[in-house]
Amino acid sequence: MTTLRRSFLLGAASLGLCTVTGTAFAQVDPAQATAFIEAAGRDLVAQLNSTSGTAAQRRERVAAVLRRAIDIEGTGRFILGRYWRQASEAEQRQYLQLFDEIIIRNLSARFGEYQGVRFVVGRTQQRSEEDVLVTTQVDRPNSASFALDWRVAEVGGQPKVVDVIAEGTSMRLTTRSEYSSVIQRNGGQVGALLVAMRQQIAQLAAREGR
Amino acid sequence: MRFRHALAVTALLTLGACATRPDASDPDAVAEFEQNNDPLEPANRVSYAVHDAIDQAVFEPAARGYRYVVPEPVRLSIRNVLANLRTPVILLNDVLQGESERARVTLGRFMVNSTLGIAGILDVSENWGMPGHYEDFGQTLAVWGLGEGPFLFIPILGPSNPRDLVGTAVDFASDPLTYFGQGAVVDALALTRTGLTVLDIREGLIATITPVREGSLDPYATFRSGYRQRRNAAIRNQEPQRGVGQNTGSGAGRGLGFTVPLR
Repeated sequence: MTTLRRSFLLGAASLGLCTVTGTAFAQVDPAQATAFIEAAGRDLVAQLNSTSGTAAQRRERVAAVLRRAIDIEGTGRFILGRYWRQASEAEQRQYLQLFDEIIIRNLSARFGEYQGVRFVVGRTQQRSEEDVLVTTQVDRPNSASFALDWRVAEVGGQPKVVDVIAEGTSMRLTTRSEYSSVIQRNGGQVGALLVAMRQQIAQLAAREGR
Repeated sequence: MRFRHALAVTALLTLGACATRPDASDPDAVAEFEQNNDPLEPANRVSYAVHDAIDQAVFEPAARGYRYVVPEPVRLSIRNVLANLRTPVILLNDVLQGESERARVTLGRFMVNSTLGIAGILDVSENWGMPGHYEDFGQTLAVWGLGEGPFLFIPILGPSNPRDLVGTAVDFASDPLTYFGQGAVVDALALTRTGLTVLDIREGLIATITPVREGSLDPYATFRSGYRQRRNAAIRNQEPQRGVGQNTGSGAGRGLGFTVPLR
């Protein structure tokens, strides 16, 4: 049992779960994290369910909620991993901009699907020194509800979302795998990832328009 | 014919292709290579392309048809029946993993759902606060301390590894229904069960696979990472709390089964 636990710890460490992303996290209070997710969720649902304004205006309102709630820079740096150091300053800046836009476009391209969404906050557990996991259940009309866990850490004095976990799958680990694979398959060039990200944004924008 | 051609290409590539290990002077690259644990990546990518083509031609349209034709309450009943039929395999693996509490839940659910739930159509236990869970022999091997081995992508089966492949074979062999009875009726029932299982699993995966296919810059890498993470969560018995009808333990959501929302 101990060997098993140890191998999981090793596995987690090698996956980079234990790597600090460069930003120093202060300890976050579980009750505060829960309240934060509740408030952010309420804002997000309100924006998703609102029908006023043009698509672009709604996207901007959702973007504002997401930018307040998510540690986009920390998460983006974590995902780029070892390539962050290899990237030039200009590439780092562009990457963070594109990453921010992808997060927002991904959600706004699916506005229709999230119409009528509700979510219920469940229990909260302290996961490590720095972060807390808040579990929520997402209900959508006419489809099965699913569980989403939010990893919350304190970044710059504010609680922020640093990862989303769905059914045991961490978004930042999955995306890290995806991005590093794109870079590797293109001769280790971070620039190739930026090209692919731009294409993806164009596709998402096209889908939103249809 | 195209299919056979694809198989031949797969076989050829499997013989020759291995991912090159990065130079030892680059420790980050070596760490990433080991973390991906995918020495057969070139061959696996070909398998993925074959799998994806078959899926888009056959399984996905079938699953969408199933979703369109069969109303949701009926699909849920079918899922419940399939999960109930899987009880012996889940129970065996609960026991083999030394999880007596979970074994008791599995057995209790079977007795309640088979009777009050009318042959498993209704998941009465779930409403009584006894949600189901899924187990398989691949997970048991992991609990016993066996490593997963290199990542494998198998056409039709999806992402896997040697441990989970052996597990799948043992699951099939240890299912008493595999050996139950003979004759045309039994064969027809067994075939129906297999067909419905495939439809049920693939239908349950529509919301998972479509966004990855459309949204990932490298779907293969996303599925590889997701499969491993999800299997590790299942091995640790970290089932998420889901909505009603989602805790049947039918195994829907295995294989490519993981949800990537917001993507």
